[in-house]
Amino acid sequence: MRRAAMAIVLSLLSATGARAQTQVLIVSGLGGAPRYTQEFGDLAQRLAGAMHSRFGLADSNVTWLGERAVAGLPHYAGESTGPNIEAALGKVASKARPGAEVLLVLIGHGSGSGAESKVSLPGPDLTAQDLARLLAPLSGQRVAVVDLASASGDALGVLSAPGRVVIAATKSSFERNESQFGGFFVDALTKDGADTDKDGRVSLLEAFQYAAHETERYYADGNRIQSEHAQLDDDGDGKGTGAPDGRAGDGLLARRFFLDGGERAVVAAANDPKLAALYARRFSLTDSVQALMTRKEKLPAASYEQELERLLVALSRTGHEIRALEGSAKSGGGAS
Amino acid sequence: MSGLVLRIGQGVVTRCIGGIAGIALRVGAAAIVVLAAAPSARAQSAPQARQQALAQAGVGRYSDAEQTARRGTQQPGGIAVQNTLGEILVLRGRRAEAESAFVRAAVPGSGAPDSLMARFNLAAAHYEDGRHDLALSEFDRFIDVYNAHADSLTSDEMTAVALAVERLGATNPELFKDALKAFDRAIALDGTNLRARNALGEMFLAKYNSADAQRTFEGALAVGPDDPGALLGAARRLAFDGQPGADSLVNRALAINPSYVPALVFRASQLVDLEYPAQAQQDVDRALSVNPNSVGALAVAAGIRYVAGDTVAFGKLNERAEAASPRNPSFYTDLAESAGRVRLYSAAAAFARQAIVADPRAWHAYAVLGMNQMRLGQIAKGRASLETAFKGDPYDVWTKNTLDLLDTFKNYDEVTDGKFQFMIEKDESAILSIYMKQLVQQAYDLFSTRYGYTPPPPIRIEVYRSHADFSVRTVGMAGLGALGVSFGTTLAFDSPAARDAGPFNWGSTMWHELAHTFTLGVSDHRVPRWFSEGLSVWEEHRGRPGWGFHVTPAFLQAFQAGKLVPVSRMNDGFMRPAYPGQLQFSYYQASLVCDLIARDWGDSALVQMLHGYARREGTEQVFRSVLHTDLKAFDARFTAYVQERFARQLRALSGDSTTVDALQPVARLSRLAAEDSTDFRVQLQVAHALIQRNETDAAVPVVERARRLFPEFSAGQDDGPYRWLARTYDARRDYARAADVLRGITANDETDYAIRLELARVLEAAGDIRGAADALEGAIFVNPFEIPVHEHLAELAEALKDHALDVRERQAVVALNPADLAGAYYRLALAQHVAGDDVSARRSVLRSLEQAPNFAQAQELLLAMVDGGGYE
Repeated sequence: MRRAAMAIVLSLLSATGARAQTQVLIVSGLGGAPRYTQEFGDLAQRLAGAMHSRFGLADSNVTWLGERAVAGLPHYAGESTGPNIEAALGKVASKARPGAEVLLVLIGHGSGSGAESKVSLPGPDLTAQDLARLLAPLSGQRVAVVDLASASGDALGVLSAPGRVVIAATKSSFERNESQFGGFFVDALTKDGADTDKDGRVSLLEAFQYAAHETERYYADGNRIQSEHAQLDDDGDGKGTGAPDGRAGDGLLARRFFLDGGERAVVAAANDPKLAALYARRFSLTDSVQALMTRKEKLPAASYEQELERLLVALSRTGHEIRALEGSAKSGGGAS
Repeated sequence: MSGLVLRIGQGVVTRCIGGIAGIALRVGAAAIVVLAAAPSARAQSAPQARQQALAQAGVGRYSDAEQTARRGTQQPGGIAVQNTLGEILVLRGRRAEAESAFVRAAVPGSGAPDSLMARFNLAAAHYEDGRHDLALSEFDRFIDVYNAHADSLTSDEMTAVALAVERLGATNPELFKDALKAFDRAIALDGTNLRARNALGEMFLAKYNSADAQRTFEGALAVGPDDPGALLGAARRLAFDGQPGADSLVNRALAINPSYVPALVFRASQLVDLEYPAQAQQDVDRALSVNPNSVGALAVAAGIRYVAGDTVAFGKLNERAEAASPRNPSFYTDLAESAGRVRLYSAAAAFARQAIVADPRAWHAYAVLGMNQMRLGQIAKGRASLETAFKGDPYDVWTKNTLDLLDTFKNYDEVTDGKFQFMIEKDESAILSIYMKQLVQQAYDLFSTRYGYTPPPPIRIEVYRSHADFSVRTVGMAGLGALGVSFGTTLAFDSPAARDAGPFNWGSTMWHELAHTFTLGVSDHRVPRWFSEGLSVWEEHRGRPGWGFHVTPAFLQAFQAGKLVPVSRMNDGFMRPAYPGQLQFSYYQASLVCDLIARDWGDSALVQMLHGYARREGTEQVFRSVLHTDLKAFDARFTAYVQERFARQLRALSGDSTTVDALQPVARLSRLAAEDSTDFRVQLQVAHALIQRNETDAAVPVVERARRLFPEFSAGQDDGPYRWLARTYDARRDYARAADVLRGITANDETDYAIRLELARVLEAAGDIRGAADALEGAIFVNPFEIPVHEHLAELAEALKDHALDVRERQAVVALNPADLAGAYYRLALAQHVAGDDVSARRSVLRSLEQAPNFAQAQELLLAMVDGGGYE
């Protein structure tokens, strides 16, 4: 377990280095009706805005292409035609350094199936196969493709690749009804509430889990039959998982995929032996808590609670010490 | 005379063998009257005598029919009249004599054309005699008849087979399918065979299959529109489905045959359900004068005496029924069903048990027992009884539906809280139990004091997420219009998530149903439905502002038009509403009756009335003994009360309003509204025209005038003028006025969720934090599932330093399983810590850290509690 913990530290450091390089391309397709035109435009615009306001990405690193009807909205960068998307991805490929993070978000009406899955665009549509081809040059970057379109499930298998996070709003191309997942996914990245592990940041895994959870609630509250089941694949096997936990299999990469910078404290720890020791202890205790939780069902409730409290108090003291050293104890900021 | 018979034709003669009731339908009412009235001819042949006897029986002239039939038996070929004579004697309750006639006709080789029907009648008579095994063995022989001669049987013979096989269904339910096949075949052989059609319809009804029953009785009525059996069957089907019109159909049947005992028994039973025992007794007396041994009539009579507490008379009727038909389970099953319909569930279960003792194959009695055990909260016992019923008769849809429902109980949590036992679907038990526990305890405490009564624990509260499931729980079928039911100490109602039920206020529903628990309990389950409903609505009005039914223009218009039922017949408004909307009017009207009694005699009079019912007094007697008035005088007093209480509204509705031309100039419209300032409808029309034309400044005073005339109007109308007025004030940032308008709407509409949120926002904008919190609390009684509403209410509670409310709302957020569960637990822990409950706070913060072990704020809170330090 210790080895696993250290791996996370290293990856966080890696993410830190890539912070300034994160490239984002948002593509919103044809609405076909005023309601959807407005809805797709609003989602894309909110997402693009959050890239600037919440994640601190430079304007030059964020591109939103949409239909002309929404050209008046802030952050709009051009029409979402096939050639424009191809050009934008080419530009991203030329700008992104090896190891940098690249996020492609697709919003719109989905159609087709298998390799022919596509999002309705102005002019000829790009298929999943076309997108896979356009993404191929980004093999050295950490790429995430988030397809929020209806009927996007089949695209997941086509876009899947080693080291790539792929999220689809539906399980297959048969789930063609209007998708709610997209709206909740954008909420996760643009509003508070998705940072479930309280580290002050929202990973793609957290955003996925939040959106999947809220989608389920949407259908349950309305006593409706859930007609969409979002999937995430990041182990490159082309098969999505509906409820990844980030501990094994799908979700491991997404758990470490952040749109903002890395954990500053981790950088600091690298230069301060005392902090480094505290961080090591924190990771160790965190592992112990997680190990205890896996045994919860097998332990008597009282024993579990007693041990949990012991570990959490120890972990809290460690966290407190870290914050004291970093000058942020009781700062209320949430991140540790 | 003979010509008349010939005109009817041979087909009719054949048909008449099938059943006495059928003849009227085949030849038409007018013809049968003529035939029945024809003088008896000395030289009448046996077939002629038989024909006339049937005709006389068809119009209820049983004595004449018997004489005619007896004469017929003396004629050459008189054997052909023996079965008819026997059937006529059965109608008069003279079974021993009837058996002799059946025996003669049933003798093999007797030459009687209806010997097979005679065999069936004989076996049926043996069953009525209590010789069940003999009867069943005789019924069993019909299977051989069918197997050997199926292709050569006539329609009537096939009917006899079907009837016998249906009876055998009690021993082997698979035989119901064969009975169905035989009925179908009988009808295929002769489409005019009404005995087969009616019996098939009754079989469908016995299996709670109203759709097929309806189709069958419609077919019967198409063949014989005046057939008393078909009319009665159709009436039963309507009553089964709770549809209006049963009264007129049964009255038609009785107009044709005034001595038709099954129709008299059915009508009496309906009157018992309506809680009009005196009128029911008249029909029962008439039925027993025709057939003193009618088990159905004796059961209704015994039921009336039982409800009245007349144990001596009940005992005598019981003995009489036993003598008339020993070990006949239908007497007790009828009693059980009747008791269940007037909310005497314990008695119903006891009667059903007696039916089972009388005949262990009385599967329907097991079903009735199971249903009533379920109503008494005895779920395991109820299930066992229903399983037995289903095993014996798997075609009983009612039982099957309920067993299917019971299978879903594994998806529910059982939460016990003191004297209450909640059953709530697992997905929502965490959130609902928070509010339901609190509300039901509050209601319980209030009602215990008011009614001086403690219900026997536990009080079982079942909450159904599917309205169809709730409906099955209540009536065994989907499609019930109600939202909740109280069986006494067992309550069931729709969950607020039951969207198929439409928007409703679960808080007021629970309050209403729990009030029934007390009114039923105090009255020993004798309170009539109208009074129990009236008290429940009356209690709702006292529970929270806006709860319950309220006055509407439609209600007052019905009052003005004399379309409300008088207090002396208020059960009619509930049990057989005469027009759409009368049921809702009746609920409100009954609450007004309680208002009037409380005003003039005090709240305690209402409780005393319940005690009067417990003493087995009827409504007339209760009004005399407690209120010292009679119902007629009270009717007049109630009319005066409504006129006085709603004088302003009634005046506002009484004008001769003409249609306002909406295209008139604004100034003219305004002047028109000012000139007719007491006419509510003019104000509404002008307001609507001005609002449509965006003439806001001109519209505001008109809508305000309408509000003064009828402040209760506009409930539930999203685009109504009052709501428009609130939006207008809101846009002008005149929050006080906006709040006043919105408060008016919420005070008269308990189901509008959005408007309560709007009121909360406006009040908060006006600085009224407590008012805003109250409005959000009201919203939660409609929809408790919105996390942001709970979070906001918690924030308001924090601002008010209302720690208990803050903690409850933070608990609600956790119960709704938000995506940010760690944050929700942390905020709950903080609220508990601030409220001084560190034991709970520590537990909650551990739950938070279990979700997010490195959650800095939660860590600091934990350390503060562990180390005893402060935390901000």
